[in-house]
Amino acid sequence: MVKLMTSILPLITRRILVSVVILFIVSALLFCILRLLPVDSAAMSMPPNATLAEIEAKRREMGLDQPLFRQYLIWLSQVLHGDFGASIHFRRGVAGLVAATLPATIELALLAMLIAGALGIAGGLWMFHVRGTRREPLADMASIVLLSLPEFLWGLFFILLFGVALELLPFTGRLSSGFERPVITGFLLIDTLLAGRPDMFVNALKHMILPSLALGIAFSPTIMRVLRSSLLDVYQEEYIHQARLRGLSERRILIHHALKNALLPTLSLMGVQFGFLFGGTLLIEVIYSYPGLGNLMVDAVRNADLPIIQAVGLTYCVVVLFINTVVDAAYVILNPKLRVA
Amino acid sequence: MSAVPAWLRSVRVLTGLAIVLTVALLALLAPLIAPHDPNEQNLLTTFLPPAWAQGGDIAYPLGTDSLGRCTLSRLIYGARIAMTVAIVASFGAMIIGAVLAHVAGYFGGAADWLIGRMVDVWMSFPPVILSLILMVGLGTGLRNVILAIVLVDWTRFCRVLRSEVLVVTRRDYVPAARLLGFSHWRTITREILPATLPLLITLISLEMGIAVIVEAILSFVGMSVGATTPAWGQMIADARQYIYDSPWNLLFPILMIFVTVLGFNVLGDGLRLTLDVRLTETQRA
Repeated sequence: MVKLMTSILPLITRRILVSVVILFIVSALLFCILRLLPVDSAAMSMPPNATLAEIEAKRREMGLDQPLFRQYLIWLSQVLHGDFGASIHFRRGVAGLVAATLPATIELALLAMLIAGALGIAGGLWMFHVRGTRREPLADMASIVLLSLPEFLWGLFFILLFGVALELLPFTGRLSSGFERPVITGFLLIDTLLAGRPDMFVNALKHMILPSLALGIAFSPTIMRVLRSSLLDVYQEEYIHQARLRGLSERRILIHHALKNALLPTLSLMGVQFGFLFGGTLLIEVIYSYPGLGNLMVDAVRNADLPIIQAVGLTYCVVVLFINTVVDAAYVILNPKLRVA
Repeated sequence: MSAVPAWLRSVRVLTGLAIVLTVALLALLAPLIAPHDPNEQNLLTTFLPPAWAQGGDIAYPLGTDSLGRCTLSRLIYGARIAMTVAIVASFGAMIIGAVLAHVAGYFGGAADWLIGRMVDVWMSFPPVILSLILMVGLGTGLRNVILAIVLVDWTRFCRVLRSEVLVVTRRDYVPAARLLGFSHWRTITREILPATLPLLITLISLEMGIAVIVEAILSFVGMSVGATTPAWGQMIADARQYIYDSPWNLLFPILMIFVTVLGFNVLGDGLRLTLDVRLTETQRA
């Protein structure tokens, strides 16, 4: 355990340092891109009957009369103090808006990743199983078809099929009307359980089935294909041959020897995929009117609400960098070869 | 020996090409094929079902939308935006990505480090989010959609090509070319590029599919071309609001996007197999 910690700690520290540098660069880039927009934030945050002099004063107060670099420094120092500014459209603190919507998006992304992982591993095993048989081209074709369907098309298709045609599942929002949502941790699934409302938990879960399934299915084919190809690689190894000589059953070889090693590259891919998947929640949220970060972002984009766009953009970035760090650490923990002696 | 190159004998390449060329023809010949003007409204005949369904009108083969516009015509005209974005944006992303990849892989050192870190910064953003933010900064319009996709997706080429360039640069004939007095430019274009070209072609085919999806996403949230230019994503956004009035209107653009992307993916996969490109699944993602 101590040995494990000494090998992981330097890695994590390094990753965190790199992430912080990346975040600074990203924040500067974001700031510059958004300043391209010909929008007068000062005028937008004032009442319509404000005089030009009042707007000018506001502009000075917001630091908009300063050069771009100074503006960035002002903004950065506020952000580092936890002040992301106020939304121009909602007239509320941006930090509060992000904190209120982020848990919903995390819940959706985690559930979707679980589904993607389960489908991906099952599908990968099946694709490997049919190798060399007449069903192989079929499996190959199926995976290309799956690759060609992005998450939002699945989302819309599920609405048509399960929502409109079969009327099996709800497809708007997080809860049916009539439920008063408890706010304890901000994570609805956890909060409903903590509040002792299993009926509400089931209702919330039902609302999440279609969106998370759409996201999960869309991201599963890449996992399938990686698992299949790394299983093919592993089966070239000497120890598989050895295991066969020892008379182990094919099932045991696959599950106990091959899968364990083939899962490593799959896991590192899932880290990359999770970043894309987290971005994919944006469209899914819009399609399912799911009150998360994505809907907040799209609303902000439509209203040119710069403080929100900046903060939400950075939030997405932080989550992706965090996931990459976790996956890297997991990779080292699971792969003895990478541990420093 | 056959005069037909291997890649033209692959079923996948031919299937993919057939699909892509069909959509491209639809786009090119849109004014000749489309039965109606895509923006022509007829408020007396809104939400018509397709011609084969009950209540359908043969004049509107795939029915009409919430403003009585011909769905088939809008799909055909939508192919113009999709194909334009697919082709121009992919080539743009390819040019930036390939140039940076060759510089990084061939020269190594500081250039490689700098380009590598740039890719890291870009990769810390989900692509959809980055393109959306770029659209906010650039403003809507076809030119800016293309620009946004180029600025986001060059990393896909750069990441994968760089490692290929690294491998090729180490082959004997590259130092040999330098010893013969070839300039860096000539070594890269005459000795390295031919070896990385198959990978480049495969990547561009896959990227075209991605570009179609990104344009659909952007036009779905209303951040692509203006409202007067029909685009598939826009049709979906419109139909989503009237899902109970006409599920057909939602289904058709979904199918259109799917078939087009499938065409590019099948083509890319066929090219990968026949051009013998080493493209791992991890790189493809």
